[in-house]
Amino acid sequence: MKKLSALLALVLALCLTAACGLAEAGLEKYPEPVEVHFVRSTDDTLDTNFFANFPDKTMEDNLWCDLYRDQLNIIVKYDWIVKSGDEYDTKLNTAIAVGDIPEFVNVSTLQLSQLVEADAIMPLEDIYEQYATPFTRQILESDGLSPFQAATINGHLYGLPNVDSSLMIADLLWIRTDWLEKLNLPVPTTIEEVIATAKAFSEADFDGNGQKDTIIGIAKDLWGQMFSLRGFFDGFESYPGIWVEDANGQLVYGSTLPGTKEALKTLNEMYNEGLIDKEFGVKDGGKVAEATTNGKCGLFYGAQWNSIYPLQSCVNLDKNAQWQAFSIVPASGKVVKAQTDVGTLSWTVVRKDVKNPEAVMKMFNLFIDKNWGPNNENGIYYAPLDSESIWKLSPVVPTNPHKNDGAFLDLEQYRKDGDESKVQGEALSILKKLQAFESGSEEGFALWGWERIYGAQGAYGVLIDYYNKKMTQDNLFVGAPTETMVSKMSTLEDLQDEVFIKIIMGEEPVDAFDKFVEDFNTLGGEQITKEVNEWYASVK
Amino acid sequence: MQKSVKAPSLRSGGRFRKELPFHLMLLPGVIIVFIFMYIPLSGLIIAFQKFVPAKGLFGNQKWIGWDNFIYLYNLPGAVSALRNTVIIAFWKIILHLIIPITVSILLNEIRSTAFRRTAQTLIYLPHFLSWIILGGILIDILSPSDGILNRLLGLFGREPIFFLGSNDYFRGTLIVTDVWKEFGFNTIVYLAAITNIDPNQYEAATIDGANRFQKMLYITLPNMRMIIVLMMVLSLGNVLNAGFDQVYNLYSKQVYSTGDILDTFIYRIGLLDAQFGVATAMGMFKSVVSTLFISISYFCAYKFADYRIF
Amino acid sequence: MVESKHWSSRLFNGFNYALIGLLALSCLIPLIHVFAISLSSSAAATGGLVTLWPVDFTFESYAYVARRSAFWQAMGISVLRVVIGVGLNMFFCVMCAYPLSKEKDQFRHRTFYAWYFFLTMLVSGGLIPLYMVIRMMGLMGTFWALVIPGAVPVYNVILLLNFFRQTPRELEDAAIIDGASQWRIMWQIFVPTSTAALATVALLSTVYHWNEWFNGILYSSTPDQYPLQSYLRTIVIDMKLTNMGANDWQALVVVSDKTAKCAQIFLASLPILLVYPFLQRYFVKGMVLGSVKG
Repeated sequence: MKKLSALLALVLALCLTAACGLAEAGLEKYPEPVEVHFVRSTDDTLDTNFFANFPDKTMEDNLWCDLYRDQLNIIVKYDWIVKSGDEYDTKLNTAIAVGDIPEFVNVSTLQLSQLVEADAIMPLEDIYEQYATPFTRQILESDGLSPFQAATINGHLYGLPNVDSSLMIADLLWIRTDWLEKLNLPVPTTIEEVIATAKAFSEADFDGNGQKDTIIGIAKDLWGQMFSLRGFFDGFESYPGIWVEDANGQLVYGSTLPGTKEALKTLNEMYNEGLIDKEFGVKDGGKVAEATTNGKCGLFYGAQWNSIYPLQSCVNLDKNAQWQAFSIVPASGKVVKAQTDVGTLSWTVVRKDVKNPEAVMKMFNLFIDKNWGPNNENGIYYAPLDSESIWKLSPVVPTNPHKNDGAFLDLEQYRKDGDESKVQGEALSILKKLQAFESGSEEGFALWGWERIYGAQGAYGVLIDYYNKKMTQDNLFVGAPTETMVSKMSTLEDLQDEVFIKIIMGEEPVDAFDKFVEDFNTLGGEQITKEVNEWYASVK
Repeated sequence: MQKSVKAPSLRSGGRFRKELPFHLMLLPGVIIVFIFMYIPLSGLIIAFQKFVPAKGLFGNQKWIGWDNFIYLYNLPGAVSALRNTVIIAFWKIILHLIIPITVSILLNEIRSTAFRRTAQTLIYLPHFLSWIILGGILIDILSPSDGILNRLLGLFGREPIFFLGSNDYFRGTLIVTDVWKEFGFNTIVYLAAITNIDPNQYEAATIDGANRFQKMLYITLPNMRMIIVLMMVLSLGNVLNAGFDQVYNLYSKQVYSTGDILDTFIYRIGLLDAQFGVATAMGMFKSVVSTLFISISYFCAYKFADYRIF
Repeated sequence: MVESKHWSSRLFNGFNYALIGLLALSCLIPLIHVFAISLSSSAAATGGLVTLWPVDFTFESYAYVARRSAFWQAMGISVLRVVIGVGLNMFFCVMCAYPLSKEKDQFRHRTFYAWYFFLTMLVSGGLIPLYMVIRMMGLMGTFWALVIPGAVPVYNVILLLNFFRQTPRELEDAAIIDGASQWRIMWQIFVPTSTAALATVALLSTVYHWNEWFNGILYSSTPDQYPLQSYLRTIVIDMKLTNMGANDWQALVVVSDKTAKCAQIFLASLPILLVYPFLQRYFVKGMVLGSVKG
């Protein structure tokens, strides 16, 4: 036994030295230029914030591409670029279907499993072991190993996670506090109080048009990051869309829990009382945002960034408006936990025949190092004041999951001791924004949204509270999509949303929920649940 | 056919030389059609496969017989998509006949040439706009809260109607907006038929003391009989075409149960969910049924209207 | 025809004028509405205050569109697509329709060819195999992917061939006796006498190429190559809130507002609306003869 552990120690030591030696390899420049071919989607942020200011720059010629070329001798090329939205999936799925698989591509777990089944992409665990720098590993693994589990099939890691925070997408309850004050109401602590508050807002008729048309903002996607319903359902111990443990320790789909039915019943009552927009099922986030801006909404569930969009335009229009994010609340007699999911949405996979697969790992290393490493240049490469979202120019975008809450904690510390020298990197650029806001200047007011996130009453305070008080419910299924999931889950999700919307609108009785659960199971849900539990047993 | 080509008689050779230009003229078109329409037909095989996308079209796919079709048959969404398609297409076919016929008769009764010309030009207008554009416009106009149509209804004391979001109204909205888009353009053929009517018939009727309505009923309409029958028969082929562009740009989840049609269903399941096998199976089903209806309709057209398409 | 002066006839007249007038207006009003919004202030537009006349008149949205190079680039591509796409369509239409319009005694294989083309209207292999063919031909990501695969518009070919059949056989026979080749007969007799049908076919394919958006997205390799309707699709499209990365909110901040959308919608409809009234005379004749007479 002793011998064995000694041997183990030796092996470990060897591995460590090896790792140390090879850590350098993770950022080593290729002697000859290496071309890497990606495909990507783009959006209006890059057009507006970057390309509009630098018209001679292109997707293949910009500061990130320069960086990869100069430091690693990697030349970034794109086989195609598409505007984001359904079109990326359409184009990528079509390309995959005809066997036109890009060398390097960011995919969803669903696409990843299809590619694995077709034996089209290569396992990357060795490359990860060899080339990921210790700092990269620290960042990528800092939010748990679930982003890796999701891309692991038959014991092989097939995709490098473009990690993102899971906590950041937890729902908060955004409330117009200037209205609360006007009506002398307390901050709601239960769902019943939330409804009472919404009713009071509606009856107060703040926009003075004589109609009780102030609503709880809900957009047609239902589970998005703005005007969402997740936080509301969480208050009923129902976690739609994620997998949670039942009393027997088995995983069940949150949407089928009894709490879901109660939540739907309550929503239907609210709809009948006019607290929910009659049109919510067809209004996208932009339309609800317009209503919110025009003072027709004083309360909704959404993510921490909602103060920047859409609430900033609300306060721009009405300088007296004030919003604040609060913890989501339970229905009476229930315990509330905010649901979170693997924040990672895309994994970079590498086609089987690529000569330099490690190039992508090197790019991960450099991206993380430049943005959050000890000698980071975050202010240039990630989010310079004059052009947000410049980081999207890189084809791989692993994010430090704790960059935002880290920044918030740094700022909290600063608010206590006033020592600006300790505030660095992204926290510093946020501090400058907060200071600009506090100066009371016209431009500073445009940064109100940032103050609502990172200020003393900021949304991050609530999120960190969730974390400290263990008030989160993680998605317990974080593996790669199971076989039946691949073929049937999206159809089931469509069915779910359709039924839920109809129940809320009263087009179907609340009992239609039971029929939904039945349909869910017969149309593949039962099989999926079985597969999910097999996976769960295998990782326990 | 083939036989006569090969027949080595002198006469036939001369004929071939005479017909050569025709073959040459058709050659480029035949090649393009072969490449872009016939070769892709081979893709229909994936309807019978458990198609794993990345393996490619001719990769080592698993054959599963009719499983994709059976799966579709059991899928509630697929069945309701079929039902919606038939209902929507049926009403569109009917109204695309009745409205343009009525409008063309009414237009013909208008004496002021300037007025008639202007009206004609205006009613052709929507035909030229894409559903992308009309989708953007209609979503705005039909909104229950601030759309102009509902504000107009409000003046008459009507509760706002949720045209695009209510399962009671969505199909109707699809049908009406489509008819609105095309009725003007569809009047063209009927107007022409009316113009061709011999004026003597009207004069004779006037002498017999017929009034305007009687003339419309007993002269104009019967004279349009042929074209009406023809148009009716030809539109049969559209029985499974409910209009992808229109529905795709107007629908939302809450009206899937009344508004989702075969084409949108195929799009979602195939291109967004990457279930190409199932999507192709559905496309194939649609092709077969459509072909059946088109064959019937052209047979009828030939039989009753002595019409041949080519 | 003698106008009856009976009261019921007058009543009918009044009713008829009103009805036709309303129908015609219903076709125009939506566009006016969009135009009015595009000239109104953002606040008035989102507040739903605009009907048919601009509120808080401003050219701001047009100034915004004028600066938006992506819009004009897309417009340029659409114009080019129409010019080349319609040109190709016309070429293939004439070349295919002419031989097919011959009777069996002149061209024995016409039935075979006619079926060959007609069958493609009934079945199609779907998008995936077509995509593959286009890629194999090296057309992917090029402008040609938008115009070559659909270069032979079978419906239009049938329309034109029915029109060609109306040309009196005597004209052709006379030309043959004069020793004219089939090529000359096609170009010098059939084409010049078929201007109405050709104009109709041209209009139909113009409308197709101008309004088509799906292929524009699918076969382009960068958004710079999008034709106008594909571009519009990306701005009129719904905002998606699910499957967002934690930092994707930045994209929402710059989403263009309603007035700018309306300005772009209006500008995008303008070219074809300016063209069709002038072609009206032709396509009315062409539609009728092509589709009706067998």
